[in-house]
Amino acid sequence: MLKVPEHQVAGHIAKEGKLGPLVDDRGRFYKPLQGDARGENEAKFYESFSSNKNVPDHIRGYFPVYHGVQLAEASDGSGKLPHMVLEDVVSGYVKPSVMDVKIGSRTWYPDVSEEYFNKCIKKDSATTTISLGFRVSGLKIFDCQESRFWRPEKRVVLAYKVDGARMALRKFVSSNPSADSVPDCAYASEVYGGSNGILAKLLELKAWFETQTLYHFNSCSILMVYENESGGDDERRAQVKLVDFAHVLDGNGVIDHNFFGGLCSFIKFIQDILESSDNRCENGH
Amino acid sequence: MHLKAPEHQVAGHIAKDGKPGPLVDDKGRFFKPLQGDSRGEIEVKFYESFSSNTEIPDHIRRYFPVYHGTQAVEGSDGAAMIVLENLLSQYSKPSVMDVKMGSRTWYPEASEEYIQKCLRKDARSTTVSSGFRISGFEVYDHKELSFWKPDRKLLNGIKVDGVRLALRKFVSSNTLSDTSSKPDSAFASSVYGGSNGVLTQLLELKTWFENQTFYHFNSCSILIIYENESIHDDGARAQVKLVDFAHVHDGNGVIDHNFLGGLCSFINFVRDILQSSDESTDN
Repeated sequence: MLKVPEHQVAGHIAKEGKLGPLVDDRGRFYKPLQGDARGENEAKFYESFSSNKNVPDHIRGYFPVYHGVQLAEASDGSGKLPHMVLEDVVSGYVKPSVMDVKIGSRTWYPDVSEEYFNKCIKKDSATTTISLGFRVSGLKIFDCQESRFWRPEKRVVLAYKVDGARMALRKFVSSNPSADSVPDCAYASEVYGGSNGILAKLLELKAWFETQTLYHFNSCSILMVYENESGGDDERRAQVKLVDFAHVLDGNGVIDHNFFGGLCSFIKFIQDILESSDNRCENGH
Repeated sequence: MHLKAPEHQVAGHIAKDGKPGPLVDDKGRFFKPLQGDSRGEIEVKFYESFSSNTEIPDHIRRYFPVYHGTQAVEGSDGAAMIVLENLLSQYSKPSVMDVKMGSRTWYPEASEEYIQKCLRKDARSTTVSSGFRISGFEVYDHKELSFWKPDRKLLNGIKVDGVRLALRKFVSSNTLSDTSSKPDSAFASSVYGGSNGVLTQLLELKTWFENQTFYHFNSCSILIIYENESIHDDGARAQVKLVDFAHVHDGNGVIDHNFLGGLCSFINFVRDILQSSDESTDN
């Protein structure tokens, strides 16, 4: 039985008769192949990536596992459509906080149509993409104090400027994200820090991006997830995954300098929050 | 003060049609005319800020030209000029390359007209695809005993393969104007490699760029210089310098991800050439 995912923060949503991804109860995520070239391109990427011997194993862990293409009942009632079957990154979490961050100082790339270019550059200018090299696409944070999820409206998220992005990244690791008061960054060291924390994972990814010339990850996002349910082992199980490969192209011997630059900028933001939370971030702005 | 036009300028403005160009003296100084619009002002402001910025580590300061203030120079209608260290004064036969760093040369604060102009140039060159473009270079031919410079128009149209070829030619000794012979990359390891070579210097800069949030070096170039005189006996004395700060803006707490991405891409190109020249046994 397929149902609408509970914790999706960005991308098309299968709601109110719209076409969108679905999940099953066995940890799989069904992403409908969109009629245009994008779905085809994403499937092509997954096929290439899964069989690419030049991708080191420890890097493979940052990508959703691919289970091929299957026919499934589409969420908009249009019958059986091909769907890419992927690992559901948030299955196995009881109360996940999730954030989607689109990486790169531009979401367009060479040889796109003028129309697509204009659409991208307009969005890149209106958000923090050009200034920061990344933008927050969506977030859903568990508010431990209110015991409920806090999810700001999409148009609010897309209007974030530099301060808004910083605040979102602080709220992401706070126990009081929905409050108007300063985020307490209570979980910064558990989620961002440590040898298995998000920063360590981002640094591992960065090292790969310094030299990999296999793919250019145009318009891709980094998904950050961690557990809020206290389950005795107190493990946050923070995860970093790259998602959304509809615009990936061959690297052709050149590194993905666009993604790399944005990733480094994102890493700096996380490092700053970690450092200031070590000195308490209550007096931040 | 005896001033003349610099000998080895590979990119940027030159003296033409009555418009002032840069000058050099015989005391190791470079005089750059202050461009009429805000660009000259921005460049001076950068140099003033940078020279007095106590948070710039010494080992990074060496990658920037020394600043000697501004001066009105006779014969240039009293127009003010920026006085800098002449980066080539310690070289007798320098090969020089100017590489404009970053996958975009425009920036949000620029005018719409300027942004459009830059977008066009960035798309036509390797800026968008590779994160940098070669603005110009001049290389010494050890056989012909003369300098060779590629045609500017030709250089503007090169793609990724052309960039690789240019980076090889830049460290070659064989006849460069003869397109039938492959560049020998004879000086690749002395120029690009070694503990003081270009690659090492670029990696040091990269580490600084991963953290510095002081400046955004929009449209800046990296200049690569090395000595051809007695290169076999005395080594190449390769140097990397950042130049052209007419569009530098405050970092405002954000790293210069545009420059950093391009720099990392350029580093890969240089490293590939170094590795393939170390491995190659044929020409």
